[in-house]
Amino acid sequence: MSKEKNQDTRKGFFATLGRWGRRMFFGASKELTMDEMLAVEKLESPSRLAVKAFFRRKLAVVALIVLVSLFLFVFIGPLAVPMDLNYTDPLQANIAPNYSFLKVPGELENNIKNINGFADFTVGVSKDNDFFLWGNTKNTLTNVDFEIYPEEIQPGKIAHAAAGSDHIMVITTDGKLVGWGNSNNGQYGIVKNETDPYIQMPDHLLNGTIDPDQVKQLIAGYQCNVLVMKDGTMSVWGNKNAMLSLDEMNRKFTEGIEKVALSNYYAIMLREDGTVSGGQTLTFNMQSAYSTADGNIKNLRTYLKDRTVQDIAATNNCYALVMDDGSLVVFGAAEYGEKDVPTLPNGEKFAEIYAGTRHFVAISDAGNVYAWGHNDGGQTEVNGMSADQIFTGSKQTYLVNAEGELTEKVGFKGYLMGTDGRGRDVFTRIIHGGKMTMTVGAVAVIVSTIIAIIVGCVSGYFGGWVDMLLMRITEIFSSIPFLPFAMLLSYVIRTKPIPETTRIIIIMFMLGILSWTGLAKMIRGQVLAEREKEFVIAAQSMGVKEKRIAFKHILPNVISVILVSLTLDFAGCLLTESSLSYLGFGVQQPQPTWGNMLDGANNSLVIQNYWWQWVFPAIFLAVATISINIIGDTLRDVLDPKSSQER
Amino acid sequence: MGKYVLKRLLYIVVVFLILSFMIYMIYNMLPIDKAAEMAHNEIKANRLLNYDERYQFWQEKLGLNGTKIERYLRWLGVYPYADGSYNGLFQGNLGQSSQYGKPVSEVIIEPMKNTIFINIFSVILALGITIPLGIFCAVKRGSKRDVGVQVGTLVGYSLPTFIVAIVFIWLFAVVLGWFPVSGMQTAGSLEWSSWDRFWDKMYHLSLPLIVMTFTSLGGMTRYVRASMIEALSMDCIRTARAKGLRERVVIYSHAWRNALLPVTILIIGWFLSIFSGSLMIENIFALNGIGRTYYTALQASDNEIVLALQMFYISISLVGNLLTDLIYGLVDPRIRVNK
Repeated sequence: MSKEKNQDTRKGFFATLGRWGRRMFFGASKELTMDEMLAVEKLESPSRLAVKAFFRRKLAVVALIVLVSLFLFVFIGPLAVPMDLNYTDPLQANIAPNYSFLKVPGELENNIKNINGFADFTVGVSKDNDFFLWGNTKNTLTNVDFEIYPEEIQPGKIAHAAAGSDHIMVITTDGKLVGWGNSNNGQYGIVKNETDPYIQMPDHLLNGTIDPDQVKQLIAGYQCNVLVMKDGTMSVWGNKNAMLSLDEMNRKFTEGIEKVALSNYYAIMLREDGTVSGGQTLTFNMQSAYSTADGNIKNLRTYLKDRTVQDIAATNNCYALVMDDGSLVVFGAAEYGEKDVPTLPNGEKFAEIYAGTRHFVAISDAGNVYAWGHNDGGQTEVNGMSADQIFTGSKQTYLVNAEGELTEKVGFKGYLMGTDGRGRDVFTRIIHGGKMTMTVGAVAVIVSTIIAIIVGCVSGYFGGWVDMLLMRITEIFSSIPFLPFAMLLSYVIRTKPIPETTRIIIIMFMLGILSWTGLAKMIRGQVLAEREKEFVIAAQSMGVKEKRIAFKHILPNVISVILVSLTLDFAGCLLTESSLSYLGFGVQQPQPTWGNMLDGANNSLVIQNYWWQWVFPAIFLAVATISINIIGDTLRDVLDPKSSQER
Repeated sequence: MGKYVLKRLLYIVVVFLILSFMIYMIYNMLPIDKAAEMAHNEIKANRLLNYDERYQFWQEKLGLNGTKIERYLRWLGVYPYADGSYNGLFQGNLGQSSQYGKPVSEVIIEPMKNTIFINIFSVILALGITIPLGIFCAVKRGSKRDVGVQVGTLVGYSLPTFIVAIVFIWLFAVVLGWFPVSGMQTAGSLEWSSWDRFWDKMYHLSLPLIVMTFTSLGGMTRYVRASMIEALSMDCIRTARAKGLRERVVIYSHAWRNALLPVTILIIGWFLSIFSGSLMIENIFALNGIGRTYYTALQASDNEIVLALQMFYISISLVGNLLTDLIYGLVDPRIRVNK
């Protein structure tokens, strides 16, 4: 280093000038000798010492890393994982953590005869007549395990299979109909009680056998089943109260049926003559105004009058018809763009249509695949591909070629942390809830700290009647019992017509305004104590300005108190927010927070059966508060010179 | 000392009045008109009545006429009703609960007993554990056991009550089945002998009490430990050791007595704050305490109960403040002089 320095000086005048310039802006530290550098190290500022001491403690560093990653997780996470606040799906409710929704078994992959899914599990039949099952196959509440097959289910003996909301229906190669899963609502045809609103499986199916080759379509829906034979006869069985069209289908539509599509509560039927009917229950839907592709608004029924329909499909709430001219008609209640039918290139026509819970997939006559609708799991990302056959699960799309080989599978892979009682992904809600919890906590603690600093400093610095007044106000606020008062305020706010965001902001400020008193008293005491100390008197006698004394001599001593309290209060605010939300007086559903996500865990049913609904939010909340408290404790130790000397 | 006590008492009364005014005004922000409700009910029963006349009658009867200040004073019991009578807080009238159709004072008596019982019990339990533990940790400061307890208490006070409650319910009630999940008595236990009923109640209360004790362990142990450490570093302790006193005597007779003051003050503050803290426990375990009464009253818009209990919570915390101040003043003469 010294050699370089010598060379440097030899270079002459300009180098010296340059060095001076460098010194002017960056200081002379580079040219210090070793001794001088050590001297500088000895004179390190207390704050740097504190930082060093902090980083010497392993636990605190771990806590800091955990906290920072949690922060990144909840503040960057929402950008990566968007959340649909009002999304609910009863078919996806209370699913345990499961990531196998798209895991088509290997033996099935190149040998597909049929794939069918309605809710959270999917069934498949291979060309070798083997039966496969994937997805969420266990229901914790009813203890139904779909993987426990009835004895009729043998390899190589399954001809048709259909998955419903909570049951599976299968036709064996012997022509026997077998169902398993949840049977409480007559899902697979056996009605124990005459008065139940269930339709029993027709006798010839229940006790006899059918020719599996004559089966045109077997589908299962929300606690119901439909079997269409090649001669056009249709049989239905299941729960009339779940599937509202079921009774009418059973009475009126028994013959001449080509295909049936089930939405959540209704059915739409394609007759052999190409007409479409939804029965009485769908009449209203079909009479509603329908705007055709060329912009005319028409009554759908008159529009369909002289045309024939080629294919039908139904999502939960929407129905799609492929007309004989290759155009597509979608009607029903679209929530997620089910009606945004893509326009085909010139000359291409829609040929077939398939539907998941909230998305449609269509094949054109050129063999191209088009998909639209809800894309929460990527189930519509198949545009531009080609396929010969398409199968859909609830949120999955499977493209299969003519040989029965799976060419592409896209869609929802599963729930990392399960779903809650309304079918919402717990993981997504934890990310977004964390953002809300952290924001509420941070804003509350900043508000309370600002109030405390102002009150404490003014009170301690000015003294006299200002101090007297402020301290009385502080004591009034500190006499307010926190939880009951916050509940009352929150309740009052709830009765006012305020938008949700404003309400949340009010809650943040409310928490802050109710919790500043402790810190204010501490700051006041500290300021009072520091003012009387010798170094302040010394500074005063040396003629240092009052302002400089306040900021250079007193404030640094108070800052450590503020910093420690800021950290510890942050944890406190997280806890109070989640307690309030847990009691239902904080942030309200559907807006998630870690507290109100645990709201549902207030009964033994949830605690026992749906552990993932409370374990994960609780872990996140606990980890956050524990690490914040560790950091706060360490800060207190580190910033307090007395305690560090003792150690 | 007498002057100091008087001053504090006077001050407490002023704070109580200010807070009650505040609460009353917040309560008045609720869109509730009891007089209109009563008048409507009357009109429904008898269509011949005149609404305006009945409305005015009920307003006067319930003391809801006049300005907000008048109503507040009437509620306090220092301003007369239309018929010249005084009937408010100071006369012991807390109003009529719309939920139960009974005077509020009757409604809250039973929950109040339960809450006090639960709280005293859990305080005794918690103190019985935390004080020895805190002393032990302070004496063995820096040992592995101390560090272990420190980590445990940190986790303990970082966890919100409801998470501890959920985990304990899952562990002790659901998995192990030792305790009932919630409630205060077995159905049909009313015909049992009083001894059996008492044990039944204790059986139901054991899990809530365990949770309450557990959640208060963290903070208390740390506090006892901190004040004990401070006491142990005093000069008198060094002198006592130098005198050759036994370690036991040094710790329990010299150090603990010095640590007792901050601990006592903390205990008082904590004991009083626990009344609002048990709100959570009572709701989780469906215990018939005032916390649960407050919660259900809020949900059911039974505002007379809400108002009365709010005032109860405030009085409790004011009494707590007063006690703390008095003890400080009693023990530390400097405080008396300063104020």
